[in-house]
Amino acid sequence: MSTQRIRLWDLPTRLFHWLLVLAIAASVVSGQLGGNLIDWHGKIGLFILGLIVFRLVWGLIGSTYARFTQFFPTPARLRAYLRGEWHGVGHNPLGALSVFGLIGLIGLQVVSGLFSNDDISFVGPLFDLVSRDLSNQLTGLHKLSSNGLFVLIGLHVAAIAFYAHVKKDNLIKPMVVGWKETVDAKEATGGGVVALLVALMLAAAVVYAASGALLAPPPPAPPAAETPNW
Amino acid sequence: MKSKLLLALLAVSLSATANAQVKPEDAIKWRQSAYATMGWSMSRIKANVEGTYNKDDVIKAANVIQAIANSGMGALYLPGTDKGTGWEATRAKAEIWTDKEKLGKVAMAFNKEANEMAKVAATGDAAAVKEQMGKLGGTCKGCHDDFKAKK
Repeated sequence: MSTQRIRLWDLPTRLFHWLLVLAIAASVVSGQLGGNLIDWHGKIGLFILGLIVFRLVWGLIGSTYARFTQFFPTPARLRAYLRGEWHGVGHNPLGALSVFGLIGLIGLQVVSGLFSNDDISFVGPLFDLVSRDLSNQLTGLHKLSSNGLFVLIGLHVAAIAFYAHVKKDNLIKPMVVGWKETVDAKEATGGGVVALLVALMLAAAVVYAASGALLAPPPPAPPAAETPNW
Repeated sequence: MKSKLLLALLAVSLSATANAQVKPEDAIKWRQSAYATMGWSMSRIKANVEGTYNKDDVIKAANVIQAIANSGMGALYLPGTDKGTGWEATRAKAEIWTDKEKLGKVAMAFNKEANEMAKVAATGDAAAVKEQMGKLGGTCKGCHDDFKAKK
């Protein structure tokens, strides 16, 4: 059996991944430091929302190994993997659990953040759509589930280290360069320019809506003379 | 007998006045009201920094925050009021009563930045106000992170 180089992760998938790494890091730092950085925290959150929506669409119309149907962790696939009978490329079934877990938790972070408030001066862009009480609860959820996210990211990194050192399989390189030396696997196809444009436009549309741009504009300011001097 | 009774009455009434100075429910209400008022003022400063800047408006808001920061409202944290309801259930954490050293630090940090905010507001320099608003907000967060319960 000869090894061959196959196209594994398409460029949009790789860009998504590394931009997400940067954006999550920036959101953690800005969220922890607070102060005026909280406004950036909100903007970064909207960017992450765009990334997540893009990935969800790309999971339907992207290239072979980016598609959810390719790696959806069905019980049968998980059993096969745990018995050592899985020999595919791309996300393995256990890794796929991590992918969906990360997307789900990051999605929860972003959505709860849209309605949050920091009890100081920051409110999420869709704060006006909910009551203060619900906003407080979603803010609590936002803080609580960030811990879950840290755990998943830790597991994700630990699994990659385990693969690199124990199973001698470098998972990082294909996510950077896009190709992988492998035996008997087909090249990724699909996910062309049209699919990319569709995914980008859908992501942009969701970010636009989430930024509060569609909310009714505030009522016109009352005449200035009405401001009392007490 | 009569003098003993008087003495007892006096003792009861003295301890009663000491305890009746502030009702826990009132203390919690006042705390919550003070924070809500500071929230109003922070939003007001922010609106000025982000929209059209009105020097007087910002000075008023900054002075409110400064006044509350220097009001000695620490006295409202009566023993046992980590539980109880004012306008709503208190979100004061028990650590307020157990980690006084750290609490003192975050409280003084807030006090310092609140005083500075009032000074900066008086200059009418919008950029400086924005920067100081960030510092002040950071000290709000410094306390919320450790001493305010999440919902």
